[in-house]
Amino acid sequence: MNTGDMMAAGLLAGESDPADGLAGARVLVVDDNRINRHLLLALLERGGITLVEQAEDGQEALARMERFKPDLVLLDLMMPRMDGFEMCRLLRGDPRWRSLPVLVQSSLNRVEDRAHAFRAGATDYVTKPINAVELLARVRIQLRKRAMLRDLEQYHSRTESELALARAMQSRLLPGPDRLADLQAATGIAIDAHFAPSSELGGDFWGIDRLPGGRVAVYMVDFSGHGVGAALNTFRLDAICRQIGSTELTPAEFLAAMNRRLCGLLPSGQFATMLAGLIDPVAGVFDYASAGSTTPMMWLPGDEAPRLGDGSGLPLGLLSSATYDSRQLPMPPGARLFLYSDAAIEIPLGSDGHDVLDEPGLAALLARRLHEPDGARLLDGLLGDLHATGPIDDDLTALLVSRRR
Amino acid sequence: MYSETLNLKDDPMDYGIEVRDQEAVVRLRGRLTFNDHAKLRALIGEMGQNKPRRQVLDLSSLEFVDSAGIGMLLIAREEMDRADKQFVLRAAAGQVKRVLTVAQIAKIVQIED
Repeated sequence: MNTGDMMAAGLLAGESDPADGLAGARVLVVDDNRINRHLLLALLERGGITLVEQAEDGQEALARMERFKPDLVLLDLMMPRMDGFEMCRLLRGDPRWRSLPVLVQSSLNRVEDRAHAFRAGATDYVTKPINAVELLARVRIQLRKRAMLRDLEQYHSRTESELALARAMQSRLLPGPDRLADLQAATGIAIDAHFAPSSELGGDFWGIDRLPGGRVAVYMVDFSGHGVGAALNTFRLDAICRQIGSTELTPAEFLAAMNRRLCGLLPSGQFATMLAGLIDPVAGVFDYASAGSTTPMMWLPGDEAPRLGDGSGLPLGLLSSATYDSRQLPMPPGARLFLYSDAAIEIPLGSDGHDVLDEPGLAALLARRLHEPDGARLLDGLLGDLHATGPIDDDLTALLVSRRR
Repeated sequence: MYSETLNLKDDPMDYGIEVRDQEAVVRLRGRLTFNDHAKLRALIGEMGQNKPRRQVLDLSSLEFVDSAGIGMLLIAREEMDRADKQFVLRAAAGQVKRVLTVAQIAKIVQIED
């Protein structure tokens, strides 16, 4: 045993940590020289790497890849039949092995040889004669890197599928096509909706409720911020909405009740804006209350511009004693109501970002499409206008509520 | 008196602080959004350390605030309460003024023109 080997043994003594990526690591040794292969084998084994296979040249190595699935290839360059350069190139051509560490060990030690090997796809390069400590250290680094990368990939794909699941759950909170079709059949109220979170999950939320007397409750919520935190709050709010129920409460009372519940739940700095309203088809009015929501826009047959309601009010979750004003807009048959999250009015105009679309701008865009009879087409057209205006970087929800009769 | 300007990507908010006898005035500039979270946290810390009891956020040069930005202003209000300081929002204009008005922030924070 030479000094290098002894040092390697010492280095390897403390290497039982399974988290370092060596436990269960598979290494393919490719070398045409049998003595070299055995030397490398012994060296790896002392480093705790026992899942090792050997190949005598590039062709044999490629043939073993599929079945053995190595975590690292220790590759000689000068070999008969297929050399290491060629094997490395072929390996990198296969997407499955594109990120596999290939550690070249060769007696070629000119700068051009190294450059050539790296061009062919080598990850690292050591020259013979092999220094045991150095080789093992490099093997460990590459294996650990690969293990970390794999952890990261697994984490990434798990997170992705969890987010997709959460997103599906969130969209199930919203009224689906069946409920909207039922609503229209029973009440003559048609709803066209657009819901687009800016990231995988959003902080926007809306709902409807059919009440006695043909009345329909509609509400829209926008939690501060976006992403997972805001999305979790939408689930919370959905549960509270169901608990409170809206049958007996006016919209203003409903908001006050929601606010009291949320004040105890939301951490500081978080809040929600909300508009709650009641369509009363008999009286032909829309009774509503707002907690800092956007301005509701209503138009009647013959109107040339939307009538603007009043969205002012303290957002939910800030002050438990807050009360809300009862407000009203006319809503006779043929009237239409437009509700939207603030993403629709915070679209920057021009590249300097000094001005945003704001409510007058949105109302002007809407005015051009007021009497498009098809609700879905109206909404699509308006969303097209918004996207043409500038980038939208927050959750965007838009609801078009039409009284068909 | 000193002032500082920090730069982040994406047209960020920056600020300058002026400490006077009676009050410290922090002037916010640009756009206040979720991206400025860390910076506003640092600013709130600084305001807690300033001598004057009255801490004023001058919003006259602030061009835009989103809901996360409002949330951060509310956190600032709470932190100032905790540090036994008086917190004032001053001279909001344009979109910022409209957002503060719609959200009736005057009910919970002192607002000056």
